[in-house]
Amino acid sequence: MTIRASAPQEVTQMLLDWSQGDQQALDRLIPVVYGELRRLASRHLRRERADHTLQTTALIHEAYLKLVEQRNVQWQNRAHFFGIAAQLMRRILVDHARTRHRVKRGGAAMRVPLEEVVVAAEGLNINLVSLDEALTKLAGVDSRQCRTVELRFFGGLSVEETAEVLRVSAATVKNDWSVAKAWLRRELLRGEGRDT
Amino acid sequence: MTPNWQRVKDVFCSALEREPAQRAAFLDRACDGDQSLRREVESLLASHEQAASFMETPVIEAAAQVCGEAPRESLVEQRVGQYEVLSELGKGGMGVVYLARDAKLDRKVALKLLPAYFMEDRERVRRFEREARAASALNHPNILTIYEVGQSDGQHFIATEFVEGQTLRQHAAGALLKIGEVIDIVLQAAGALAAAHAAGIVHRDIKPENVMVRPDGYVKVLDFGLAKLTQRRTAPVASEGTTRIVFKTEPGVVMGTVSYMSPEQARGLEVDERTDIWSLGVVLYELLAGHAPFEGATTGDVLVAVLDREPTPLAQWREVPADLERVVCQALSKEREERYQTVQELSADLKRLKQRLEFEAGLGRYAPSEDGDPSGAPSSAYTIIDPVGRPTHESGDGRETRAPRIAEYLLAQVSRRRRTAVLVLLGLVLTAASVVYILQFARGRQAIDSVAVLPLVNVSADPDAEYLSDGVTESLINSLSQLPGLRVMSRDSVFRLKGRDLDAQTAGRELGVRALLMGRVVQRGDGLSISVELVDTHDNSHIWGEQYSRRLADILAVQEDISKSVTERLRLKLSGKDKERLAKRYTENTEAYQLYMRGRYFWDKRPGDVDVLEKAIRSFNQAIEMDPNYALAYAGLGDAYLFSAASLGRKETMARARAAAKKALEIDDTLAEAHTTLGFVKMNFDFDWPGAEQEFKRALELNPNYATAHQFYGAYLIQSGRSNEEGMRELRRALEIDPLSLALNWHAGSMLYYTRQYDEAIEQFQKTLQLDPNHSLSRVGLAQAYLQKGKLAEAIRILEEVTTARPKAAESRPGLAYAYAATGKRAKAQELTNLIETSAQGNVTYHLARIYTALGKTDQALRWLEKAYDERAFNMFFLGVEPAFDSLRSDARFEALLRRVGLEN
Repeated sequence: MTIRASAPQEVTQMLLDWSQGDQQALDRLIPVVYGELRRLASRHLRRERADHTLQTTALIHEAYLKLVEQRNVQWQNRAHFFGIAAQLMRRILVDHARTRHRVKRGGAAMRVPLEEVVVAAEGLNINLVSLDEALTKLAGVDSRQCRTVELRFFGGLSVEETAEVLRVSAATVKNDWSVAKAWLRRELLRGEGRDT
Repeated sequence: MTPNWQRVKDVFCSALEREPAQRAAFLDRACDGDQSLRREVESLLASHEQAASFMETPVIEAAAQVCGEAPRESLVEQRVGQYEVLSELGKGGMGVVYLARDAKLDRKVALKLLPAYFMEDRERVRRFEREARAASALNHPNILTIYEVGQSDGQHFIATEFVEGQTLRQHAAGALLKIGEVIDIVLQAAGALAAAHAAGIVHRDIKPENVMVRPDGYVKVLDFGLAKLTQRRTAPVASEGTTRIVFKTEPGVVMGTVSYMSPEQARGLEVDERTDIWSLGVVLYELLAGHAPFEGATTGDVLVAVLDREPTPLAQWREVPADLERVVCQALSKEREERYQTVQELSADLKRLKQRLEFEAGLGRYAPSEDGDPSGAPSSAYTIIDPVGRPTHESGDGRETRAPRIAEYLLAQVSRRRRTAVLVLLGLVLTAASVVYILQFARGRQAIDSVAVLPLVNVSADPDAEYLSDGVTESLINSLSQLPGLRVMSRDSVFRLKGRDLDAQTAGRELGVRALLMGRVVQRGDGLSISVELVDTHDNSHIWGEQYSRRLADILAVQEDISKSVTERLRLKLSGKDKERLAKRYTENTEAYQLYMRGRYFWDKRPGDVDVLEKAIRSFNQAIEMDPNYALAYAGLGDAYLFSAASLGRKETMARARAAAKKALEIDDTLAEAHTTLGFVKMNFDFDWPGAEQEFKRALELNPNYATAHQFYGAYLIQSGRSNEEGMRELRRALEIDPLSLALNWHAGSMLYYTRQYDEAIEQFQKTLQLDPNHSLSRVGLAQAYLQKGKLAEAIRILEEVTTARPKAAESRPGLAYAYAATGKRAKAQELTNLIETSAQGNVTYHLARIYTALGKTDQALRWLEKAYDERAFNMFFLGVEPAFDSLRSDARFEALLRRVGLEN
C-alpha cells in the first residue's frame, strides 16, 4: 500500500467529497491519514525528551496540516478530519495490541514505539482489544456514544471539540461520555470475570 | 427484557445530577416499578461510582507518559536539577535510583527518579509530595535522610543521603550472622521505626532490601511511608511461582514482597504500625534461621503460610535463646492485638536480651539469675534459662515508657551523640537565617519575604531558545528556594502566568508575593544576554537589576552561574540595616533558638493533645530563660497558653497568654506573631471582635506570610458572621503557606463544618487524617459532618471508636453523647451525659448545652450556656455559627446571650 505523495489538494478534495456523501472518498482517505498518523505517532513516541508530552490533538493537528491544503481550511473539514483520525487511532492501536500479543508469544518482541501505547493502556487498566470489542458492542446500542468514546479516548478531543465534531451540545457529550464510560467499564469487568 | 436504552440514559443522567443520598428516592419515582430499568440504571451507577479516572486520560497521552521513562539509561552524566548523575545504583519499586553528585554542596546523593506514569494522577503526585515531605521530616540516625523532594524538567525526584554499604539482603547472604549482630541490626531498625511511628508514619514495606548496612555496622532504613503510595489496591494473586515477586501493580514495577507482608496486609486491610512489627519479626527470623519463616513454591502458598501457618521453631535451624524465640513469636502473632503493640516493647525485650547475652558472655557459661531464675544451670553461650511466665515487658517498664515524640527523640539524640557537630550546624543555620531576616527587614516594613520568579521572556528570533529562558527561570526558582525563610512561588504557579501581559502589581497580587524577579533572554549567535530585574509589587518600583552576558557554550553552567549570582545579589542588596531591631526580635543564642523551634513543633501538634502544649510552654519558657529579650519566644509562649489545658483555669491561662503577647510587643511592636496571639485573646476571651480584627489585620500587614494570622483572621471572619467566603479564602491561604500543619488542616475542616459545607468538611478531615490517622479531633469532626449529612451509623461508629480509644479526651465523650442525642438514642445519650457532668474538663459546659439542645431540653441547654458564658468556655466564640444551636436561635434568651458575646443576629 503506497501512502506517500498525496497532495494536500487531493486530501482536501477527498474530505469535501466525503462530507458531501461520497463513501468511496472515505475509503481513499483512510489509508492516507492512517499512514500519516502512524508515522507521526511513532516519531513522537520515539522522542527522547520526557517533557515533550504528546497530545493526541496536537498529533492529529500535525497530520491535518501535513495532509490538507492549508489555505482552504474550513472547520467542517477539520471536524471531519478529527473524526476520521480518532477512528483511525482506535484501529491503529487495537491492531497493534492484537499483533503485540501474538509477537510476544513468539518471543521476539520488537520494542516498537506503538508498544508504549498498549503498555500505557494496560497501565490504565485497559485492555485495548477488549475495549475495542466492547465499543463495537456499544455501537450497536448507541452509535453516538461509541463515536464520543472514540473522539475522547482515542482522539484526545475535549468535550467541546467532540461536541463540534458530532454537532451536538457539550451537555449531550458529557452525558454520553458518563453513560458510555459506566457502560464500558461494566462490560469490561464482566469480560474479565469470564476470563478468570 | 432489555429496557429502552434512551430511557436508561435519561434516568441515569438525571440520577447523576442528584446527591448520592437522594438517588434511591429518585429512582423509586423515575422507574416507577420498572424493575429491569432500575436494575440497569443501578448497575450503571455502581459502575460509574468506581470509574472516576477510567478512560479520562486519552490513551496516547498516557503512552507519552510511559515513554518518559524510556531515556533512563541515558541519564548518566546528565543533570537533574542541581544533581549530576554519576551511575545507576539500581531499580526499585519507586523507579530508578542513581548515584549523583550534588553540585551545590559537593556531596554524593542517591537520586531516585519517579517513573513518569506515576505522575499521571495529580492527586497521587500531591499525596506523594506530602508524604515524602512528612517522611523527610524524620530525623533519626537510622533513617535514610531525605535531602530534597523536587522536580526538574517535569521529572520528579527524591534526593537522599547516599549510604555506602550493602542491603541487608546482600549483607546476610552467605554464612549465618552471629546472634549478637542480628540483634544489633534489628535494634537499629527498630529505633528507626519507633521514630517514624512516633511521627505517625508507618513504613509498610520492611524487608532486607530496604535496610542498608554500612561497613561500620551502622544500619539505615530506607523508603519510609512510600510503599503505600505506589501500591494499587490489588489483592495479591498467586502467580509466577517465586516467593520474591508479588504482584505487578504498575508497568514494570514490582511492589513489596509477600514474604514480609503481615496477615492484615495480605488481606488488604488497613494497616498500622503493628504491620511493621510483623515485618521486622520476619526479618529477625530470617536473619536467625537463614530461611524466611513463611515459604512456599508460589506466591499463593506463601500467602497461605502467612495467614494460617506457624513458622518452624527457630530451634530447628540453629541454637537460639528461648527468649529470642519468644520475641520472634510475639512479633509474628497473626492477630495484631497479640503482637507487640509498639516497637519500643520489641526493642525493650531485645535490649534486655542483648544485655543478658553480653553479661553471660562475660560470665562464661552460666545463665544470670537477674530474672529470678535461681537454677544457674549450665547452658551454652547463647542459651538462657528463661524465666517462667509471660515475657518481662508486660510487668516491666515497657508499657510505661511511651514512645518519645520525634522532636524529643531528635533532641535527645542530638545532645547525646553529636553535640559539637550540631552546634556547628546550628551556627550555619543561624547565619543563613540571619540572611533572611536581613532580607525581610532591609526595606523597613516592606518585608521581602516572598518572591516569584516570572518566566523569563525569550526575545530571541529563534523560538527554540524558549527552553533556555524556561531553564533559567527554573534554575532561579530552585536556587532562590534554598534561601531559608524566603518563600518562592512554585514553578507551577508562575508558569500559569507565562505569556500573559501583567504589570508587577497585578502579578504580585495574584501570586501573593512581595517581590517579582522578571527578565528577558536574548540569544544572538552563540552569545547569550540575560537581564533581570527585581520589582516591589506594592508600588511597581525597581529594587535592583542586572545584565549578564555569557557565551552559550555550556548552558547548564550559564544557568547555574546566573542563579547563583542573582541569589547573591538579592541577598547583598537587601542586607544592611535594621540589625538592632532584628537582634531584639530574634536571638543569637543557639540554645534559645533551638528551644523556640522545639516549642513551635509541639505547638503545631496541639489539637487534641494537651500534654504537648505543656511541653511547648516548657520549651518557650526555657528559651526565654536563655535569652530574656527573645520576643518570638514570648509570642510562642502566648500561643501555647491560648490552647492550654484548664488545669490553671481559663482566666489564668488567657491572662498569661495576653501577658506574654504584650511582653513580646513591648520588645518589638512589629512582631506579627504577637499581634496574632493578642487578636485571638480578644476574640476568644474578651469577645472584643473589632479589637481582634485590628490585631489580625496588623499582623497580616506586618507579615503577609504568617499562616497562623491568616488562619485566625479566617476564623474571625467566619465566626463573627462577616463573610464565609473571605474567611475560607484566608484559611486556604494559610494552608498554601503551611500545607502540612496538622492544626491548620484540622481547623480548616472545622471551619468548613461551621460554614455548613459538610461535603468539603468531610474531605478536609479525611485529608487531615492522612497526615495523622489517629488524630481524634479530626475523627470527631468527621463524625459531626457525617451526622449533618445523615450518615448516622457511620458517625456513631467513628465516635464510639474514638471514645473507646481515648475516653478521656475532651472531645470524644461529648461528641458521642451529642450524636446519640441527635439520633434519638436518648437513654445512651443521657447515660453518657451524666458521666460528662461529673467530669470537670474544660469546655464541658458548652458541650452539655449542645447535647441538651439535641435532646430538646431547651431550658437546660440555656442554663449550661449561661455557665459556659460565665466561665468563658473556649468554644463560646462559636455561638454564632454552631449548627447544633440552630433550634435555639429564635429563643430570646439565646439572642440575649449572642449579644453578650458580641454577636448580634
